[in-house]
Amino acid sequence: MKKNLAVVVGKIVLFLSRTLRIGGGAAAPGYYALKVEPDLLNKLIAQIPKNIIITGTNGKTTTAKLLTHFVKTQGLKIIRNTTGSNLERGIVSALIAHSPLSSYDLGIWEIDEAAFNTLAPKIRPEIIVFLNVSRDQLDRYGEVDSIVGKWRVTLQSLPKSTLVILNADDENIASLVESAPGKTMLFGMKEEQISGEIKSQPKKGRSLNIQAYEVITNGLSGSQFKLSSPNYQLPATYYFPLPGLYHVYDALAAISSGLYLKLDPQKMAKSCNDFSPAFGRVEKIKLSETSQAIVSLIKNPTGATQVLNTLAPSINNKDHVLLALNDELADGTDVSWIWDVPFEELQLKHAKLKIIISGNRAVDLAIRLKYAGFDTSSLIIENNLSKALERSKKGLEGTLFIFPTYTALLSLQKLLAKQGLKRHYWEEK
Amino acid sequence: MNLVIGYLYPDLMNIYGDTGNVVALQKRCQWRGIEVEIKHISVGDKLQVGECDIYFFGGGQDQAQQLVSRDLISGKGGVIKKEVERGVPLLSICGGYQLLGEYYQPQDGQKLEGVGIFPVYTEASNTRMIGNIIIETEQFGKLVGFENHSGKTRLNQGGIPLGRVKKGFGNNGQDKQEGCRINNAIGCYMHGSLLPKNPQLADWLIKKGLEVKYNKEIKLQLLDDKLELEAQRVAIKRFS
Repeated sequence: MKKNLAVVVGKIVLFLSRTLRIGGGAAAPGYYALKVEPDLLNKLIAQIPKNIIITGTNGKTTTAKLLTHFVKTQGLKIIRNTTGSNLERGIVSALIAHSPLSSYDLGIWEIDEAAFNTLAPKIRPEIIVFLNVSRDQLDRYGEVDSIVGKWRVTLQSLPKSTLVILNADDENIASLVESAPGKTMLFGMKEEQISGEIKSQPKKGRSLNIQAYEVITNGLSGSQFKLSSPNYQLPATYYFPLPGLYHVYDALAAISSGLYLKLDPQKMAKSCNDFSPAFGRVEKIKLSETSQAIVSLIKNPTGATQVLNTLAPSINNKDHVLLALNDELADGTDVSWIWDVPFEELQLKHAKLKIIISGNRAVDLAIRLKYAGFDTSSLIIENNLSKALERSKKGLEGTLFIFPTYTALLSLQKLLAKQGLKRHYWEEK
Repeated sequence: MNLVIGYLYPDLMNIYGDTGNVVALQKRCQWRGIEVEIKHISVGDKLQVGECDIYFFGGGQDQAQQLVSRDLISGKGGVIKKEVERGVPLLSICGGYQLLGEYYQPQDGQKLEGVGIFPVYTEASNTRMIGNIIIETEQFGKLVGFENHSGKTRLNQGGIPLGRVKKGFGNNGQDKQEGCRINNAIGCYMHGSLLPKNPQLADWLIKKGLEVKYNKEIKLQLLDDKLELEAQRVAIKRFS
């Protein structure tokens, strides 16, 4: 059978890429297996009883990881694309790595917002979660209006049994309620909206299934919030260790999914509290007895703005900052977006902050900082990421804040793993 | 001295980093002690001749572009045209460039009437022209940017392009021309942001703005553009 042959091919590629340390086998096994059997996704996914798709511009990885954490603590066996490899080959790679698949209860898939339209009909998920949508890699995805338009068409083609979970505070997402094939579940905050990409006034009076209120953000130590729902009995207060309102939305998305899956709300509240972030998503790494790194991916204007708004107030003069801008395909080849990110905020309090700029478009970023008001003589430009990391760690007696684009994050992960400061991403739980 | 920068439709026409151009104009004025005021001009706002000394007009999504097109036709377009005729500098990119041409013909649906400042017309196409672009110009030397458009723009007989495409697509991917110039107005497809990486162009706009305003020849103080020129050099090396 072609299917079995394809799986074997994928397994061999996976074995080779790990033994030869080329990478974690996040995409290559799927890539080659799909060449053998183009319909492989359809065939393999059918063996998983339930599947969940998580999509949107920002927060997919964190939401998927949190939901996984909930589900695992409650004893279900899950399979997911752990490495942010969210195209067809990434999902097929995960399926191949875990096959035979008969023992799994649930598949949790984070899916690229463009790939969603071809993948959702193949995966036939029980639940689809839409987090948010904003400008991201226009060279790849196109404009927001067109992304949302395509989602509508895809949603209408799915079976009525599909539950669609929507972020009601992002109007583009909330409006998908009209295109959902059947049931919907809306989550949101009582007094908050996502800033940035909403052009029309949000429609008031949508009733929420899960509503957060008394949301308090406590800087780097995370946030707390209360939840109310007409449908569920919920515990009093939730603590979530990831900073920033945007992470509260990720938590709401994961909790909503968990509730629909009939997970115990008390246990979810507890799991929220002991959650540790995904690879490069405000991840803390110990560097020495006196210093640590906080790594936070930046990849588009809205996400990067949220990251800076949240982290900038916690940056002190003794800290260092490493920014890394690449323009590979997975980063987006257009670097214009840095002009929509308020780097001015890094500057206000910290005239003397040590800033190192790296990546293959480091100079573009240096100009952005120059026009944000930084003294250029104090900026260190080092295109080579490995050298940049060394210079960033030198003399550090505090926190090194690292803000890389996607491919720079992958390289950093390798560098940190090599130095024994961090595990290879494919060895992470 | 002072300058008023008219930022046209910043809420609707700022699709990817267009604001960087306005920031570049603002900072390069301020570093020379020229005071700057940035005026946001959007749908429904009034605009008069003489109100602004430099105009910037970025790109937007299709829906936004229709809204803006209607607003331009109902009055502001005529004012901007008069301004360009009296030599006020203007930079328009992508959607803004298309709307200031003669017309835009979408794939399906009605032709969008343009303001008719640039002697160009644009027709929608199925191919998306995406990537880094380098052009050679007579007045500004090499310019570098990033283009992302599916509209194909063509110059009428006698229309003057901004430059010749060395790498990338330009107006239509066929005739090697990029952008258009008339008086001190420039239309083109170059994001990037354009002005921070091409400071010679930013300074030309500032100089022209001051000259029209103060009616005398202006010599701008030189700035340290080491970084800007380095970025230009890196882009040219990486993409040619």
